[in-house]
Amino acid sequence: MATPAFTFTPSTFQKLHPAEFFRRFTTEGVRPDGRLLDAFRPTTVHHGVISTANGSAMVRIGGTTLVCGVKAEVAEPKLDTPDQGYLVPNVELSPMCSSKFRPGPPSEQAQAVSEAINRVLKESKVLDLKDLCIEEGKAVWVLYVDAVCVAYDGNIFDAALAAIMVALNNVRIRKPTYQEGTIKVSGGSTANDENSFTLNLARTPLSATFAIFDTTLTILADPNVTEETISEGQISITLDETGQLCGVTKIGAASCSQSVMKDCVQSAKKRTQQLRNIMNQQ
Amino acid sequence: MSRAELLSPEGLRIDGRRPAELRKITSTTCVLSQADGSAYLEHGNTKVLAAVYGPREARHRALVLHDRAILNVELNVAPFSTGERRRRSKNDKRLLEMASFVKQTFEPVVIATLYPRSQIDIYLQVIQHDGGTLQACINATTMALIDAGIAMTDYVCACTAGWVEREAAIDLNYIEESSDTSEVTIAMLPKSSKITLTQMESRLHVDKLEEVFRLAGEGCKQMYEVMDKTIRDRAEDLARKMAV
Repeated sequence: MATPAFTFTPSTFQKLHPAEFFRRFTTEGVRPDGRLLDAFRPTTVHHGVISTANGSAMVRIGGTTLVCGVKAEVAEPKLDTPDQGYLVPNVELSPMCSSKFRPGPPSEQAQAVSEAINRVLKESKVLDLKDLCIEEGKAVWVLYVDAVCVAYDGNIFDAALAAIMVALNNVRIRKPTYQEGTIKVSGGSTANDENSFTLNLARTPLSATFAIFDTTLTILADPNVTEETISEGQISITLDETGQLCGVTKIGAASCSQSVMKDCVQSAKKRTQQLRNIMNQQ
Repeated sequence: MSRAELLSPEGLRIDGRRPAELRKITSTTCVLSQADGSAYLEHGNTKVLAAVYGPREARHRALVLHDRAILNVELNVAPFSTGERRRRSKNDKRLLEMASFVKQTFEPVVIATLYPRSQIDIYLQVIQHDGGTLQACINATTMALIDAGIAMTDYVCACTAGWVEREAAIDLNYIEESSDTSEVTIAMLPKSSKITLTQMESRLHVDKLEEVFRLAGEGCKQMYEVMDKTIRDRAEDLARKMAV
């Protein structure tokens, strides 16, 4: 047999044939960054990092880092829900976090993730919005939840949802008093249990995302940015603390069997439990 | 907030500092996984993150210079960073003005002729705002550029100074800035003591100017000590790891 005409260094091979390069690893059951196919990257969670915000969190999953801040403002309630406040989540993917993003209006990906999170928060009824009412029909609390991504290395949805849930968990809002058309909020001394209240979260949904790679439909847990680019589909499973499903999303060309979905749900259960332990530790 | 409280009779400011004292500074480099260089800087409660990408291919071919790199600075203030939530659009004039200050401060310092036909992008994210945003942005940018390995003639250290009540003070916080004190931001090259940026918008009596400038210069020198220590510690750390 003739000797091959070209030989490549691994990094050249990765640039020329990224999928083939990746396949060499997955057939052995590992990934280029050393992880097993079902391993999630190390995750750290920090509470209350921003003192100007009512609630805040910073979450790192591998190289993906998100800072989330919650600000509470007084506003008029929506016409059809006069006794409920509302949440406005927003995920920002700026050019700072990766060279993939260009400056300008929010990209399609940022809008899609924001909307996905909005849906999870609404449909899972994470918060009883009546708790946010100050004066029915006149004034309610609006919670602006802004998650800013500072470093993007794949799997923005998991990181964003975790950051938002942690931030909502440590929100502290000053108790307002309503007097003849004006809202008075006590300022001055530090917020404590007497002059402020925390949110009562009914459920804490957390998610686990998997990428579907190749015709062999290899499932990769917690894809990083290179794995996201070469994968053909993604599955996201969202579960709350009782193990109930809050959301399942599957996008992409590859179709996968029911057993694959079941495996993903089991893996997601373990992962979300692990995430909750991390959140509660700190 | 009555003016009398800005400087107590003993000469202590609102947060207990002396007039010539800087706030607690925390600085770290190489905090972001994707950027070529990054730095995180805290001046007391003002927290700024800087990311540098470059030199890389310029986005707009028309702007490319044949003999040097172009600098591009974008400043983003997070909505939760200030006391009241404010959704500042990217084209907010104040932010664009601040970004252009940073750009003009670094243009003479970065040795751009080493990187022709390329672009150096500097992204600044203000995470928490408690006065002295411009100085924090400039300091964070210096460290991020050094972390990215981009050649510069010197550090650029910035410091705010102003006249609080009866004395000149440095590193003003938000309460001091927003009350009726004059405030000037100065960026300096520490080795040569040359000033690359001066910015002041309030009124200051010309007799007090010299004192305020002198104090700001000293503040910049103090900043330089802190920043240099962080960079050297990191370099030692890396050198140690590489030697193994």
